[in-house]
Amino acid sequence: MTPDGGIRAQGVRRSFGPVHAVADVDLVAAPGRVTALIGPNGSGKTTLLLMLAGLLTPDAGVIRIAGADPVAQNYVARSRTGWMPDVFGTWDSLTAREVLTTVAAAYRIDAAGGRARASELLELVHLSELADQPAHVLSRGQKQRLGLARALVHDPDVLLLDEPASGLDPRSRVDLRVLVRRLAAEGKTILVSSHVLTELDEMADDAVFISRGRTVATRSVADGDRPREWRLTGLDPEALAAWLAENGTPHRKEADGPGMLVELTGDAAAAALLRSAIEAGIDVSSIAPAGGVLEQAYLALEEERR
Amino acid sequence: MSVDVEVVETAPSAGGAPAGRGAWSLSWHGLRTVAVLELRQRVRSTRWKAALIVWFLVVGLVTLLATGAFSILAGDEMGGESFGGTVYSIVVGFVLFLGLLVAPTLSSGAINGDRNAGTLATLQVTLLSPAEIVLGKLAASWIAALAFLVASIPFLVWALAGGGVYWLSLLTTVLMLALVLGVVCAIGLGFSALVGKTSGSAVLTYLTIGAITAVLPIVFGLLVPVTTTTETVRVWDIESGYTWEETKAPDCEWRTVEYEVWHSERTWWLLAPNPFVVVADAQPLNGDPDQLAEDGNMLAMLQYGVRYARTGDTGPFDWCSGYMGESGTDSPVEPVEVTDQLVWPWGLGFDLLLGAGGVVIAVNRLKVPTAQLPKGTRVA
Repeated sequence: MTPDGGIRAQGVRRSFGPVHAVADVDLVAAPGRVTALIGPNGSGKTTLLLMLAGLLTPDAGVIRIAGADPVAQNYVARSRTGWMPDVFGTWDSLTAREVLTTVAAAYRIDAAGGRARASELLELVHLSELADQPAHVLSRGQKQRLGLARALVHDPDVLLLDEPASGLDPRSRVDLRVLVRRLAAEGKTILVSSHVLTELDEMADDAVFISRGRTVATRSVADGDRPREWRLTGLDPEALAAWLAENGTPHRKEADGPGMLVELTGDAAAAALLRSAIEAGIDVSSIAPAGGVLEQAYLALEEERR
Repeated sequence: MSVDVEVVETAPSAGGAPAGRGAWSLSWHGLRTVAVLELRQRVRSTRWKAALIVWFLVVGLVTLLATGAFSILAGDEMGGESFGGTVYSIVVGFVLFLGLLVAPTLSSGAINGDRNAGTLATLQVTLLSPAEIVLGKLAASWIAALAFLVASIPFLVWALAGGGVYWLSLLTTVLMLALVLGVVCAIGLGFSALVGKTSGSAVLTYLTIGAITAVLPIVFGLLVPVTTTTETVRVWDIESGYTWEETKAPDCEWRTVEYEVWHSERTWWLLAPNPFVVVADAQPLNGDPDQLAEDGNMLAMLQYGVRYARTGDTGPFDWCSGYMGESGTDSPVEPVEVTDQLVWPWGLGFDLLLGAGGVVIAVNRLKVPTAQLPKGTRVA
């Protein structure tokens, strides 16, 4: 990681009157990686993204976007940032193509370059067929895809996506994931905020959890060293429970089903458990991680807060 | 985590973009981008086209009615007198009146409306400067307002064809109307950046126009007692001791009396910002009030009125000639010659300052990153 790439935020604070929307956020998002920004409603995600996008001045703290300070070098920072807002407004009377050529012009791309870029992006987000329809006939998901295309017009180094998956159908979600992974592979820094944690599981490399305006945890999704819960089901749940107890493996019964939840560290531990169960003559019908990594981490943090 | 400030300072600028463009930097490209976007948005909404058609019909109807009414009058009584002055005044006054009603609606929602729709921030994050966004929006609303003005020009020309109005008046009238509408658009834009709700900014714009159009002239009227002073003036009066029972007309003589003199030349500037005064005063001056009254050219009479106010009639006064027959014509009191000093540059200058103020406020409000938000608004 180059010292001036990606997103770095340290001690960022911002309040609106008496409301401390962002109280103390530290965040690092590295180039070539997808970083998830996770937090409950009202935890300050959108406010943080506005500050990263250079629209809002932080009350305190330091922010660097691809090396530029969005406060002191706002223009440079803006030129390197692509921002897709959560509340999606669009120029209703313009066609999808015109929206993109207008944004291209606003980024000082010449007319021919803008037209070429618009066609390319419409192809990328599968809106070519609707390119010459007015934007107000697009569905919410289609508008969302247009918004993503709009954030990509000037080929930014840093992408800030605020709830990009909301309103998307399953096909578009898969497309979004593939696209985001591809952009990360090109070396872009991508920060995604979302509530759909299982979605982020497959998309993100790192995760930053914020709650009540503070960074509460930073995790790596691919990190296999952390213990996580696995879900086991057997043909005879009683026998399975008995064996686990006999074996000395800490376990608990799933609250809403027949499965048993076991905390394991890494895939090897899971394989070992399965082997010993079979050797002991227990009929295991399934073994799999219970929920996503991020979901578990999120719920664990929620637990801690109570 | 530490942030290396030195590395940051030497970071190369991306894609050859200039290291920084200030809030006031302007480019033709940026202006055109915003103006075209705004006009596309506006022109494609059928409401606007309908408004333009209604405007054309209404102004046409007023012109027709005025022409009909005054040609009948002219035909009946004066026979062959030109009716152009009256019709021209009515049409110009009506176009300006309607323009003052329509122009605020074109611009007073341009910024807060976009903010509420979530489209303002998407422009702010691009490489457009705040000045380009504001002036582009101003250009678009002004062009829209000018479309209304252009739709009225046929009727102005028609009234001009009625005779009695110097053709150069058309040029000055249209130019002043255009500038006044531009000022109104700029004021609306300023309020639109200042206030969160579009209805609020529209009301404030109307109040501002109301203030310069109606409130200032009322203040001018209310100040009459203050600007009136008791002075010793010479008057050309009826001879003392005349009884009114004689068959002979009275002779006139100079007298010196204590008289209340109204110094309107001290407060004339309160009338100047009024858009009607600006439009009326910019036309070539025709100094003969009797001729104007006969023509019914209200625009020219308004011009004469403000010029008269600026001149200030402080004596000597002629109180006698009115009672005289033939012999009154040799009055030694010169009739008041109204000043040829222009009133409109002061008024227009003041109005332009208001408009410039609106633009400055809007640009300052659109600077990113913002430290403060107007109450009850979101950035995005």
